[in-house]
Amino acid sequence: MFKSQKFFRFKKKSIRVIKIMKKDYKAYLGGSIIMLILISAIFAPLVAPADPYKTNVTKRLEGPSLQNLLGTDSLGRDILSRLIYAARPAVLVSFGGIIISVIIGIILGLLAAYVGGILESIILFIFDVIRAFPPIILILVLLSIIGPSLLSVIVILGVTIMPRYGRVVRAETLSEKEEDFVEAARSLGADNSRIIFKHILPNIFASVLVLSGMDMASMIMWEAGLSFLGLGLQPPLSSWGVMLQESYQYIQTAPLMILWPALAIMLTMLGFSTFAESLRVALNPKLNQEV
Amino acid sequence: MFIYITKRLLWVIPTILTVLLVLFSLSYLLPGDPADIILGPRATPEMAAELESRLGLDKPWYHSYLIYLQNIIRGDLGTSIFRDRSVLKVILDVLPYTVILTLAGMGLAVFNGISIGLLAANYNNSYFEKFLTMVSFITASTPTYIAGVLLIVVFSVNFNLLPSIGIGDGGLLETIHHLIGPALALSVGWTGYIARLTRSSMLETLDQEFIQTEKSFGIPRYYILYKYALKKAIKPIIAVIGLGIGRLLGGAVFVEVIFNRPGLGRLIVDSVNERDLPLVRGGVLVAALLFVIANLIADISYAYFDPRIKQK
Repeated sequence: MFKSQKFFRFKKKSIRVIKIMKKDYKAYLGGSIIMLILISAIFAPLVAPADPYKTNVTKRLEGPSLQNLLGTDSLGRDILSRLIYAARPAVLVSFGGIIISVIIGIILGLLAAYVGGILESIILFIFDVIRAFPPIILILVLLSIIGPSLLSVIVILGVTIMPRYGRVVRAETLSEKEEDFVEAARSLGADNSRIIFKHILPNIFASVLVLSGMDMASMIMWEAGLSFLGLGLQPPLSSWGVMLQESYQYIQTAPLMILWPALAIMLTMLGFSTFAESLRVALNPKLNQEV
Repeated sequence: MFIYITKRLLWVIPTILTVLLVLFSLSYLLPGDPADIILGPRATPEMAAELESRLGLDKPWYHSYLIYLQNIIRGDLGTSIFRDRSVLKVILDVLPYTVILTLAGMGLAVFNGISIGLLAANYNNSYFEKFLTMVSFITASTPTYIAGVLLIVVFSVNFNLLPSIGIGDGGLLETIHHLIGPALALSVGWTGYIARLTRSSMLETLDQEFIQTEKSFGIPRYYILYKYALKKAIKPIIAVIGLGIGRLLGGAVFVEVIFNRPGLGRLIVDSVNERDLPLVRGGVLVAALLFVIANLIADISYAYFDPRIKQK
């Protein structure tokens, strides 16, 4: 009985959110871009017209043609296929990175808000130390310690962004804790874990969701930027940043080539940020700009 | 207000000390033996021992940390391994370029962002406003390095209008000419953000009662918009400038590498690639200090312009 009521409330709320988003052109734009990226990442071998790693030195640096819709790169590889395959590391980095930072952030934020005292000070202090470095420089130094690979890029991006979530979760938990309905649940005998999972987490879910949409855009930006500097993902892997770096060397002879990975990165970021914005309007969480 | 600022300032001291500890531990964390990297395979054990004592690697870590702290307080950041010069001098040589670039980028972002935002607020709910909103979303999702690369392709390779590398020979006109591309590239992302902020802040202000009162007095529309509304709506924008300067410091890394300008960001990238440990430590320390100061200004200006923050 209680469970079905709960489900009904959740359903009602999501229907309201979807109703608002249906009227917003930004939701359609962002949603379709994200779908496009996901489809190319998951079905890359089916969608891509050619093998992204097959080199052909006789056909290097060619312009767009019927065989190679976007032309070929410096090793004669098909640019369109490489672009499509490069959606894979982009999706892995953005989703993987965000999952890591959300999970660690929620755990640390809840701990800080619930336990308080010295533990809270320590956790807040760790956040402040991470936030004392410009993100890109922290990522750069950490990468030079661990060494560049897909996994290390994901973990480092996740850890660098994490304090944002920790702070939001802590602040919102502190204010939710004081709400009447949490007090009521406690007086009915609910223990802490029940209050956290049933009452507090669902209420901070909106803020976390909106923030992660924005951060996934930044993660894709940082990954490509690092690979562009030669410090992130390494060739011959197909990644937009690696492609940027490779075509940057031919900027004088084949300036068109660098346009494709640049457009792919911008489109992906646009998709995530417009979708997050429309979510923000629909969910209207109590985010303030301080975080 | 005073108590808030004091608390915020005091909180910076342990943060910086821990940042120093992190930087100090880099010598143990970076892969490879520093002596090997610097001296190469043909070094004798004596040479290695001499270098290790110079870098302070032969003592226990807490001892070396204290020496490291002492040196920092005296303003001695060590000697760069490959440049054979004082780290502080190397950094001070390039720092002005980064500061000028960041400020120019922020100036452009504020000017363009406020202009776009005002137009969007003025023509609210029209197709022109939707177009401007899209423009600000697109600029906000253009990474600095892509803006830089596209500017080079269009203005340097195709039209040959702007120089693509360097900082010029030192003359004022040359310097400005070389600054246009990099500053524009740096400003692009933040322009979109400020435009959106300006629009929402203006709309919120225009909705308030005192504007309605002024309208009923028959005060001209442009006068209300630019004299009364803008004055009030500009506060949140001023408040984010500190935050923006911190962000742009990070973006300067890419701009300096792409446009081949000297600067703090490129120095850090180069020193990380060369494994020049003292230079990495010094460069990251200065970057972190600048970043902390920018964030401090951001927090204080937030508290000043939005008193609700103080209570948290």
